[in-house]
Amino acid sequence: MTQKRDVFEGDYLPFIVRYGKVTGWLGVLMSFGPALVLAVVYRIMPPTTAILTAFIAMASAVGVNWFVEPISYFPIVGVAGTYMAFTSGNISNLRIPAAAVAQRIARVEPGTPEGNIVATLGMAVSVLVNTLILTIGVLAGSTILARLPANVIDAFNYLLPSLFGAIFVQFALMKLKLAPIALGIALALTLMVNLGWFDFLPGRPTYLITLGAVFGTIALAVAMHKRETGRP
Amino acid sequence: MDYLQIANSAPMWIASGLAIGLVLFQAYIFAKKSYNTGKAIGLSDTQMKSALKGSMITSIGPSLVILTGLLSLLVTVGGPMAWMRLSFIGSVMFELMAVGFGAEAVGVNLGTDSMTQLAFANAVWTMILGSIGWIIFATLTADKMDRVQDRFLKGDKALLKIIPVAAMLGSFGSLVSGHLVALNKNTIAAITGGLIMAIVVPLAEKDKLKWLREWGLAIALFGGMIVAAIL
Repeated sequence: MTQKRDVFEGDYLPFIVRYGKVTGWLGVLMSFGPALVLAVVYRIMPPTTAILTAFIAMASAVGVNWFVEPISYFPIVGVAGTYMAFTSGNISNLRIPAAAVAQRIARVEPGTPEGNIVATLGMAVSVLVNTLILTIGVLAGSTILARLPANVIDAFNYLLPSLFGAIFVQFALMKLKLAPIALGIALALTLMVNLGWFDFLPGRPTYLITLGAVFGTIALAVAMHKRETGRP
Repeated sequence: MDYLQIANSAPMWIASGLAIGLVLFQAYIFAKKSYNTGKAIGLSDTQMKSALKGSMITSIGPSLVILTGLLSLLVTVGGPMAWMRLSFIGSVMFELMAVGFGAEAVGVNLGTDSMTQLAFANAVWTMILGSIGWIIFATLTADKMDRVQDRFLKGDKALLKIIPVAAMLGSFGSLVSGHLVALNKNTIAAITGGLIMAIVVPLAEKDKLKWLREWGLAIALFGGMIVAAIL
């Protein structure tokens, strides 16, 4: 048991943190590649005011998520998963489902060293599959789109809600008492946001739903656990 | 020159390809290290291989959704940007919004006006600057969040197993609630996906039905999609 901790904390985590930082910062640099190509090769550079205007619009729409998402997903995916998920993107709709399925199949618990390792394996596979499908897709390009019947394309819109429902239930089955609480908070907050109760905040404050549901559920879960075990 | 010629030019493919190469490299070294460490701490080869296979099957459905997003993005920003943004940091909804804001800031209204070189360049800048917040914050804090979490737990090991599930229920609860209150076909898809999962997960516990562990989520999400599309 202690040897297991030694391997995980003494060897695995330092390796992941070292490479995670290097690849993370390289990722920041490389994301500027296309903008650099436009500026240097084609001499197209938008005025700073235009860049700022658009940036401020984006920041008020999604800026809170830059902080909320890494914090909310950390307990699920761990250190390695955080580096990976935020380098590769498509987190809630692909990385987390892939990680969660891997954990369920290997019968390991989220939050443990085994859970973190298996989640990382699951995410790595999803990176490979996703890149492969997108590469084929982009090369075959719009010819695919033109050949698919319209009702098939429409049907794809239902994959995401179906995925969210299925993943929620997968975790609900692990904590039957907690699931209605989480869903109750989320539904209440969604209705409040839809009714415009938070319209004084910038953007459409859907991040409040995530924030409230994640931390509200964690707080209630901790309180329930303390009452059951009698710990202060 | 038409902006799409620039958007689909070789230098743009190279810049995008480099970024995607980085993501693949990271996935490879993390997976290799995780596999070896997994073995060292007592996970079996069959356990890990079965998990890998399950994730592979599960990834196909969501990747197809992303592909349809890629095809819609491709029309406005060209192949290389669409390819890069959806394999690296970004996500479909975010990118479409960024392109809209970027073009708008130079006076191009997508849908009515045609895209100019300048609007395209500003859209590229907006996609980049709007998304690096995630990677910067995650890269700065990933190794420190462990310590924050440990301090919060105060040695209560049982909590370590409860908090991830609570966080997961909270975040997917909030993702699904928007579809539940919409009361349209998305609601049907979300409920059907959930119901199929509620049947499949207990069934997969039976030894005879082990394959369901790997295929369960794929069945639930395509099942939910098909039911919503037909009803």
